[in-house]
This record gives sequence, C-alpha cells and structure tokens, in this order.
Amino acid sequence: MPLILIALLPFLGAVLPALMIRAGRTASAWSAGAVTLAALTGILAHAPAVLRGEIIFYQLDWVPILGLNANFMLDGLGLLFSLLILGIGLLIIIYARFYLDRDDPMGQFYCYLLLFQGAMLGIVLSDNILLLIVFWELTSLSSFLLIGYWKHLPEGRQGARMALTVTGMGGLALIGGMLLLGDIAGSHDLSVILQSRDVIQASPLYVPALILILIGVFTKSAQFPFHFWLPQAMAAPTPVSAYLHSATMVKAGLFLMARLWPVLSGTPEWFYIVATTGLITMLTGAIGALFKNDLKALLAYSTVSQLGLITMLLGFGTKMAAVVAVFHILNHATFKAALFLTAGIIDHEAGTRDIRRLGGLRHLMPLTFLIGTLAAFSMAGVPFLNGFLSKEMMLEEAAHTVWAGSHLFIPVLVTLGSLVSAAYSFRFIAHVFLGPRRSDYPHRPHDPGFGLWAAPALLVALVVLIGVLPALIAGPLVAITSSAVTGGDLPYFSLRIWHGVTPALGMSLIALVGGAVLLAAFVPLDRLRASLPQDTAKAIFDGLIAVAVRLARGLTAGLHNGVMSRYALAFALTVLTAAIFAWATGAAGPATRALTPVPPLPLIGWVLLVAATVTIVLTHHNRLLALILIGIAGLIVSVTFVYFSAPDLALTQATVEVVTIILLLLALNFLPRGSPREGSTARHVRDALIAIAVGAGAAALTFVVQTTDFAFDPISAYHLANSKTGGGGYNVVNVILVDFRGFDTYGEIIVLGIAALVIHALAESLLESPVGARLARRAPDKGESGDPHPLLMVVATRVIMPIALLVGVFIFLRGHNAPGGGFIAGLIVAIALLMQYMASGYDWAVSRQRFPYHGLIAIGILTATLTGVASWIAGYPFLTSSYGYFTIAPLETFELATAMGFDLGVFLCVLGAVMLALDTISRLAHRAGERPSPYAMDVDPSRPQSAQRV
Amino acid sequence: MIAQDLQVILPEIALAVYAIVALLAGVYTGKDKSAAMIVWITAAVMAVIGLWIATGSGTNAAFGGSFVDDSFARFCKVIILFSGAVVLVMTQDYMARRGILRFEYPVLVALATVGMMFMVSAEDLLVLYMGLELQSLSLYVVTSLRRDSVKSTEAGLKYFILGALSSGMLLYGASLTYGYTGTILFSGIIEAAGDDVSIGLLFGLVFLIAGFAFKVSAAPFHMWTPDVYEGAPTPVTAFLSTAPKMAALALMARVLHEGFGGVISDWQQILAFLSVLSMFVGAIAAIGQTNIKRLMAYSSISHMGFALMGLAAGTTFGVEAMLIYMVIYITMNVGMFAFILSMEKDGVPVTDIGALHMYSKHEPLRALALLVLLFSLAGVAAPMLGFFGKFYVLRAAVEAGMTWLAVAGVIAAVIGAFYYIRIVYYMYFGQDREPLDAGGGPILWVVLMGSALIMIVGVINMFGMEPVAAAAAAALVN
Repeated sequence: MPLILIALLPFLGAVLPALMIRAGRTASAWSAGAVTLAALTGILAHAPAVLRGEIIFYQLDWVPILGLNANFMLDGLGLLFSLLILGIGLLIIIYARFYLDRDDPMGQFYCYLLLFQGAMLGIVLSDNILLLIVFWELTSLSSFLLIGYWKHLPEGRQGARMALTVTGMGGLALIGGMLLLGDIAGSHDLSVILQSRDVIQASPLYVPALILILIGVFTKSAQFPFHFWLPQAMAAPTPVSAYLHSATMVKAGLFLMARLWPVLSGTPEWFYIVATTGLITMLTGAIGALFKNDLKALLAYSTVSQLGLITMLLGFGTKMAAVVAVFHILNHATFKAALFLTAGIIDHEAGTRDIRRLGGLRHLMPLTFLIGTLAAFSMAGVPFLNGFLSKEMMLEEAAHTVWAGSHLFIPVLVTLGSLVSAAYSFRFIAHVFLGPRRSDYPHRPHDPGFGLWAAPALLVALVVLIGVLPALIAGPLVAITSSAVTGGDLPYFSLRIWHGVTPALGMSLIALVGGAVLLAAFVPLDRLRASLPQDTAKAIFDGLIAVAVRLARGLTAGLHNGVMSRYALAFALTVLTAAIFAWATGAAGPATRALTPVPPLPLIGWVLLVAATVTIVLTHHNRLLALILIGIAGLIVSVTFVYFSAPDLALTQATVEVVTIILLLLALNFLPRGSPREGSTARHVRDALIAIAVGAGAAALTFVVQTTDFAFDPISAYHLANSKTGGGGYNVVNVILVDFRGFDTYGEIIVLGIAALVIHALAESLLESPVGARLARRAPDKGESGDPHPLLMVVATRVIMPIALLVGVFIFLRGHNAPGGGFIAGLIVAIALLMQYMASGYDWAVSRQRFPYHGLIAIGILTATLTGVASWIAGYPFLTSSYGYFTIAPLETFELATAMGFDLGVFLCVLGAVMLALDTISRLAHRAGERPSPYAMDVDPSRPQSAQRV
Repeated sequence: MIAQDLQVILPEIALAVYAIVALLAGVYTGKDKSAAMIVWITAAVMAVIGLWIATGSGTNAAFGGSFVDDSFARFCKVIILFSGAVVLVMTQDYMARRGILRFEYPVLVALATVGMMFMVSAEDLLVLYMGLELQSLSLYVVTSLRRDSVKSTEAGLKYFILGALSSGMLLYGASLTYGYTGTILFSGIIEAAGDDVSIGLLFGLVFLIAGFAFKVSAAPFHMWTPDVYEGAPTPVTAFLSTAPKMAALALMARVLHEGFGGVISDWQQILAFLSVLSMFVGAIAAIGQTNIKRLMAYSSISHMGFALMGLAAGTTFGVEAMLIYMVIYITMNVGMFAFILSMEKDGVPVTDIGALHMYSKHEPLRALALLVLLFSLAGVAAPMLGFFGKFYVLRAAVEAGMTWLAVAGVIAAVIGAFYYIRIVYYMYFGQDREPLDAGGGPILWVVLMGSALIMIVGVINMFGMEPVAAAAAAALVN
C-alpha cells in the first residue's frame, strides 16, 4: 500500500463510523476498527523492509511553489510511532465501544478519533516539514473536538480551550521555525534537511529556528513552562486521555525532536535548553502527580514528568541517550496507556476517580488490580518490567552527564525525580487498591467485562514481555528506530535486565526505597503542600488572558469611540509622520529657482488672506461672520490671480465667489446664528498645534515644489503655440476650455446640471418628509426685518439689470480672444437675476419668469452636444471646432467659431444650475414661513397708504 | 483606433450601460417593487460578464496605455464580479424583509463594480482616480441606504467625510507624482523615477499610499471601518468587506509595481509598517468586541494587514501570495456574512456574539460550517484554506528577507485566533440560552455550506487557482 494511502485512510474512513452508527454502536466501532486495521496492515506490510534498514518513500507534488509536497517517508522512527498510533488506536476503539454510555454520540466520537489518528499518522509519515506542519495543525483541531466531546462538563470546555490556545500558539511558532529551517537547508524535504547538519548548525538562523521549533515541540509535549494545559485537558473521556495524552499526541513533540535530532542536537544551545527543560519538567511533573487526588490528574502529571524525562534524554545529545529515549518512548506508551485505561475502568465501575473516595479495590476488582499494579510498577521502575529497563539505562546516561561543569547536578536531580516517580506510582497502587474495603463507593465496584479489560491486559502483557525478554521482543525495533534517530551508526547497546553493579543500579535502588518512604510520609507532606499556592500556571494563563482582554477593550474604547475628530486626528498624525519619514529619507535636491522679491502689495494681500483664514477658525461659531471672512479670502485669491496675470481665473473666481456667498447667505437663513462650542481649551490647543504642524508641512512642501523645476517642461508652451492656429482664439484659457479640453468641459457642465437637479430633488423629498414639517414649525432666531424689500435696492437692481446683462453678453462674445467666456458670462447673468430675487422677493420674481430652469440646463447641454455632433457631419471627430471671419456692416470684421456654440451651451447650463439652486432654497424659505408679497417693494410711495406693507 | 480601445473596455461599458438601463427601468416601472428582479438580473449580468472576462487572454492596452486588460486585471475582475454577484443574491431576501430593498441598491452595486473594474485595469493616475471615486461614491450611498436609521446615515456620512479626506490625499500625491515625473502613466512614472526618487516624488508616493491605505482600511487609516461596518445594513457590510478590498489591493499592487517598481525599497518599509500595525490593531481590538459586525470589521483590518504583507515583499511571489490570500479571504467572508445575515431571533436581526451560545446543540451542521470558517479565518490550529493563505504571505515575506515581518505576522495571528476561537467556544461549550431562529432561507444556507466546503476541499489543490494567480502576478511584475 503506498504511504499516502495509509496516511489518508483514517481521513477517508472517518465518515464510516458516522454513517454506520445508524446500523448500531457495534457496527460503528467495527467500521472504525476496520479502517485502523487496514492502515496497520499497510504499515506492517512495509515493516520487514524497514527492519532491514530500508526507507520507504512516496512522492507527490502538492503546492511546489511553497515547497509543500505530499512526500511521505517510512523509516524506523516512523515505523515505531505508526505502530504505536495504530496499535493503541485499535485498542482504544475496542475499549471505547464498551466505555461510552448509550446516550453518547458514538459515531461522532469515532469520526473525530479517526481524524485525529490520521493527523498523527500524517505527522510521523511526512517527509516534508511543511506537510508535517499541516498534519500537526490538524491534530490541534481534532484534539480540540475530542477533548470537548463531553460538552456538559465545565472543566471540559475550559480544558479544551486552553489546550487549543497553547498548542495552537506553539504550532505557529513551529511554522516559523520550520520555514527558517527550510530556508537554511534550501529544501523542505526531511530527507534533504537531515543531510544538512553542518550547514544548519553554522547558520546564524540556527538559534532562532531552534527556539521556535522547540516552543512548538514543548507546547505539544507539555514541557515546562507549557505543561499546565495537559492536566486541564483531562476532563475528556478516558479513552481520549489515554490515546491523546499518553500514547500519541503529546508524543508528537518528542517525535519531532527525535526526527530533527541528527541536525539540531549536539550544540550547547540544544543541550542546555532541551536537557534542562526536560529535567525541570520531570521534577515539577512528578511532584504535581504525587499530590493529585484525581486519578487522571495524577496520571496526567506523571505523563508530563515522563515526557520530561524523554526530552532530557534527547537533550543530552549523545547517541546512547537517544537509544534510551526511543526505548522509553515505547515503554511509556505501553504502561501509561494501560494505566489510563485502568483508571477509566475504575471510574466506570466505581463511579469516581477521586483517590480519597477509593481504596480497598483489590478485593472487589482483582483483575483490574493485577493490571494496574503491573503497569504502575513498571512506571516506578521495578525490575522485570519494561519501565525498569529504560529507567536504568536513563540513570546510567544521566550519571555521566556534566551540566555546566557540575558532575552531580543531573544525577542527583534525576534520582530525585525517579524517587518521586516511584512514590506516585506506589500511591496509585496503595491508595486505590490496597487498604480496607469501604462501604461508600458511589457504585458497586466489580471487574468489568472482557471488552474493557482486554486492551489494558494486552498492554500489560507487553510490559511484562519486554521487561523479561527485552532484546527479543523490542530489540530489533529499538535498534532500527534508534538508527533512524541518530542517523546511521549506533553505539553498542544491549537490552538486558542485569548490567552488573553500576551507579545506575544504586540510583535505582535509592529511588525505589526512597519512593516507598516518601509515600509513607504522604499525609504530612500533603498538608504542607495544601498550605502552598496551587495551580499557579493555570492562574497565570487565565490572568494573562484577562489582562489581554482588558487591554484590548481599553485600546478599542480609546481609539474607536465613534468620534470623527479622533479619526481625523489619527489620519493627520499618520500623514504627518509619513511626510516626516519621506522628508528624512529622501533627498530634496538644490533649489533651481531663485526666490522672487516680495513687493509690499502682495504682502498685504498675503497678510489679509492669512488673517482672514485664522479669524475664520477662531470665530466660526458666528456663522455670518465666518461667511464674510470666507468672502474676503476668496476675493484675495481672485486678486492673486490678477497679480499673476490670470484674468480669466480672476474673473471666474470673483463671480463664483459672489454667487456662492449669496447662495450660502440664503441658506444660512435656515440655520441657527451660531454653532455650539465643544471641547476644552486644552483640546483646542492640542488640535491647533497639530493643525499648525500639518499646515507647516504642506507649506514646506509647497516651498520645495516652487523652488525646484519639474522633471519636464510644463505643457503650457504647447497650448500657447497652438491656441491661435488650432483653436482660432487668443485667449488660451478659453480655447483650452472649449476646444483642447472641450470634452472635459462637456462632462463638467453635465455634472453641474446633474448637481443642480439633485439639489432640487433632495429638497423636494425633504419637504415631503418630517423635515418639511419641522421647517414649517421653525421659529427663526430673529424676526423678519421690517422692510425686507427696500425701495432703494429695488430701484438700483432694476437699473443695473440691463447693464449687467449687457456685460454678460460682452464677456461671452469676447471670450474666445480675451478674458471672458460662457462660464463667466453665465455667472454674471445669474448674479444679475439673483439680485432681482433679493430685492423683490422670490414670489414676485418667479411670477415674472417664463422658462423653467431645468429647461435651461437641458437646452444648454443639448446645444453643447449639437455643436459637438455637428463636427461629425463635417467629417471630423466629436467637438472639433472651426472658425471664420465675418463682416456685417456696419460692424467691424469679427470672428465666429463653432466653439462659441459650445460656449453658449456652457453659458445656459451654468445659468440654469445657479438659478435652480436659488429656486430650491427659496422653496425651503417658503415652507419656513416667508410671507409672499404681490409687490416689488414693501414701501412704495405710489401705492395708497393702506397697500403699504410694513 | 477608438474602436479597438472600446473593444478592450467592452465589459466595463456593458456593465455601465446595464446599470443605467436598470436605473431607468427602476424609475419608470415599479420602483422598489421591481427591486428584487433587478437584483437577480444584476447578479446574472455580473456573473456573465465575469465569465466573459475569464475567457480573455493576452495583454491589451487601450486609450494610449491608460487602461490595460491583462491577466492580473482579469483575475481580479473575475473575483470582484463573482463575489459581488453572490453577495447580491444572498442579501436580496434580507433586504426585502427589512423593507430596505430599494432598486438603487443593485444599481449602485453595479456601478461600484464598474468603478472597481476600472481600478484594477488603470494604467494611469487619472483612470485610477476615476475608478476609485466611482466605487467610493457608490459605496457611500449604499452605506446610508437605510435612511431612517441614524446609525446607517451616520456611518455613511463618516465614511464620506473620511473618504473625501483620503481622496484628497491621494490626489495630492498624484499631482506631486505628476509634477516630478511629468506623466500620469505608470509606465512613464517608472521610467522617470529610475531607481532613485527625488523627495517630491517620494512625497507623492507617500500620499498615494496613504490614500490607498484608507481604501483598504489598513491601520492607522482604518478608523472608519468598525463604525461603517456596524452602521451599514448587513448586506452592504458584506459587500464592503469583499469585492472593494480586492479592488483596492489590486490597485495598490499595480501602482506600486508598475509605477514605482524601480524603487521598491522606498515603499516596502511603509507597507511593512502598515501591515504590522493593521495585523496587530485588528487582532487586539477585536478581542473586546461583542458585536459580530464590528468584529468582522476588525477581522478585515487584520486580514488586510496580512494581504499587505504579501505586497510588502515586493516580489512576484508576494503579489501572487496577496492574490491567493484575497481570494481565500473573500470566500471566507462571503460565507461568514451568509451566516451573519441568517442570525435572527423572533424575526429581528441579532449581531450579538452572545446569541451563539450552545449554537451547536440547536443547529449542529451550521455550527460545524461556522467552525470551519472561523478556523479558516484564524488561519491557525487547523489546516483549512485560510491557513494556506497565511502560509503564502508569510512565505513571501520570508523569501523577501523580511523575517521579522513574518514573525510579527505569526504573533498577530495567534492573538487574532483568540476571538475566532472564542466564538467556536461559545457555540460548542457556552451556556444554554434561548436559541436563534432557524431561518435564513436556502440561499444563505447554500452559500454558508459552500464556503465552508471550499475551505476544506480547496486544501487539495486550491481548485487550480495557483497557476492562474502566478500568471496574474507575473503579468504585473516584470
């Protein structure tokens, strides 16, 4: 069977139990078992070849650009782990069939279990480190689902979340480390990486990569200081605990350390980080285990401790230590799984896992007692059981290891760790099975059925067999696995019970005897421990999360409180910072233009402009004043245009200014006279400072731009040269508007027209909405003036009107060759009309007006369009202009250009748009209670006294 | 000449003309009564145009090089059109039941889409700006579509004001760029810029990026996002968080690579800064959120940070990574919003995350789909498609020698995972509460399940997207 199929089999098979559950629980279990068995057969089929020293490969490109390939590899290490995963998996499936309650969704359980199994299998079979990560992440997810399987237990939830958080975080660190590793080695294939030891260890990235990978590994294998999640995750169903937390998932970290051992180990960094972490974990785990009253918690901490032991062995970095590590992995998997299953049986039959409520079970559950005792003895390191062998070899290794120049540090602490290990192992036996029979068990304990005890019994059989005949049973597997770990040649080792009188034997004896003594002193010790703070790691973890949440809340409340000014502040500050960054990193280049002298007149204008602007900011609460000041600023700008010889712009600016001020003045009528004051003085000062900084930045930038030449000559020369010859006009600005950029202007007048129509439409719908009613009820700040339409103004505007119109026509006609044009003319005429409205009131004026303003806009746009289309008829592109000279007596020769037709369109459109805006505002005023008047002026001496309107 | 040019922008013209016709049809027929029909037709038209564009090939320039139809543009347009169409279809029912299904909605979405199509094809600063504004203006309006809601109108107003500010910034940058290079064509800018920029051009670049950063809601220009996401009607939020993000990022990629490709080191640092800040602000601020729409806003900020990481790499692979990231992100987001749209209790929309307590008990399948999506959004702890997206951008950063950026990204992803997984936690292990309505309709169900399924099945070969994205990126970066 190809390796990829073996790895995928559990995934594909995961649907089976979920489907088969409809045919009953047994069928579901059978299907899960069959899938596992099939995968196991596939592995076993390759076993002979692997035991001969061959390595099986399977390669398939997946996402080559990322270096992610579906490459699988089976060597000794992979073989050991896949046998553990599938073999124990099979036992767990059988056990769970009898363990789970009738109400538990068993199909779902097996489905998750197979998913998890597949992920684990994928890890150990991967030849590509990225593929390995993919499977690694999958174990996190599937274990989350498995741990949280019993949803009704609050600890289950907590544990699941913590496990996922910690291992997920580690997984990410692992990704980082693996990416670095792949970069150093130049490939993501393990087979290549494993050959690159020298390159990797010489790289400056070795240490970061090592640390990241170790974080990933330590979180997964529950090493100090990440060990706290494992006991928390024990709320899961016992089969899950046995499978994930003793035999497989937590071993994934060990697997990876063993896998990368040839390239990562052997350096001082490796030794001090890994060996020390392992040693600390071994001690803390052992001490934690001793005092736990929950059977599973005891086992969980003991797992932490044993994993620490293996980590320490791998950390030693010697080949012999690696052999021992491999051997202990195998042994620990057997006796710890058996212990978990035993604990499960006790929980199932006695109804509790609390050691304080147990005891004396040897009479009631003799079979369970036998299994449990053998497994626990193995854990303690009692001779003739497999735990003794590997522990003995471990002690032997530890005895020769020097830590920071000290020969005693490691041997003493390791012996202490073994001593405590022995103590908790004995406690498992003594406090659960021994002692007097009790009368208050929650259930009536008895030995379980065959289905439940078969799996642990089989494991314990292995424990004993390996313990008695180590070389025969485990020898070949350990040898081939160790050679895979160490990368080839192995040191001489022999798996036997009697090694002679060695230091290790002495340490072993001390541990066993000391363990028994320690247990004897358990009660006072327990009291002592109870007075010390507990579960600190978990408290720190919870505390960290709480602090993070509080910080996040605070940050969010501070930054995103919905206040616009704060957003604008962030915006302004960032842009300012970016600008400073640009200024600091870029080269400004020398000024290529000399500064012009500053004559007094422009200086006065500048002062006026700045004064007006500053005053607006300071007095904007008074809206009328602000408007007047805006007018001043606008006028200065138009004067500036005059100063810089841009009469067209000046004319446009001046007329636009007048129109907008008048319209704004009318609109202001509907607003309160002042705007409210907000914010404290301190805030205003702060805002002012920021505004000044941003403004100064913009000014500095402008200064630089003005004093340096652009990369290219400006386009103006082209327009100056071609305005007369191409467009027939001397006024370049006008020719640009109606000819060169005629299409732009065409678009603009359409936009202008649309804008006017939209204003109209919005006001229309506004009047129908509740706003209209509010407008009608509105009480103005100040009553209407007694004489809103004064005689003098009426007379003056009437007199000015024809003159203004004539000026409009004049400006329009001269536009092509001298300053002027349709746009300005439109505005001037609009102003002339606006004045009539102001003088005599809206109603009076509107009754004398014949054309709807919408129509004016439409006619304007149509005229412009027709002018453009006309050039099609003559065979030219849209809006091509032509011109000619005409003489009509008694006038002098004058020029007519088709562009003037276009300009007429602009004229009409502008006029229509302005007047429509006025019209809209007047309608609002009407609704707001303005009294219509039939007369042109309020006080008219020609009317009788009774008709005066004051 | 002009006929050839028009040929190139025919898809855009078609959609624009369709939008105008639909507008007129809406005005002159049943107004809002015909809205549902217009929604469906608009979605169909967008999908058809998407298919049409997908069949295109080669690189066709138009209007003197101001507009280009290359495989990069096509890639983005197809994503934009399809995601837009899906969002339209899945939101129609929601809007109708809330009484806010106006016929302008599909028309505005179509117009925004036209704008986005121009954005990704723009080859000069003015076409870029036109596309951007068409898009933005349409979005401002749809954001405040619920006219009688203070929140919705406030969101629209905020969006508009800040958006105008950013547009101003962008124009400022564009004019500086023009001033110092004498051209608005990207191809001309890159030539004029050479490999050492003057300070004026650097300012131009900085302001351009500031403007873009606002559009992609990258921190610190992200402030509008939570308010607008929360205030806008949920369907509009769904739209905002998908297609426009793709368009804005594509636009950014094009300007930076085609216009400033010679001075990568100058913008790389700015992008890296934006990226890191966005990832962290998004991740950290989301932790305290209880409103799922606000949460999605922060999530999008954080995701934009990751997409920017791909761009910050400044390589072809970086662009490819960004494209892949965005496609995956959009797919996830569509699925998420399909779920959010279906969240209601007694017929009233619910956006409180607390409502999801023990959701798995009442709706196991939906909860599972949501779990997949959330893990995929987190991109950690489970190899869903979202994990691959993150992987691509991290890899791009590492390959470009920005390991520190990748490390920062990983840390931010861990922080970010917290709030996604918290929802999962609520759904599976929360306290028992009154369940949500089972409603939502078949379309939402299909979109949710489809999106979740894609996250799982896509892991096999990403539906063959990789070579297409690679070709698109190669077309952009020469």
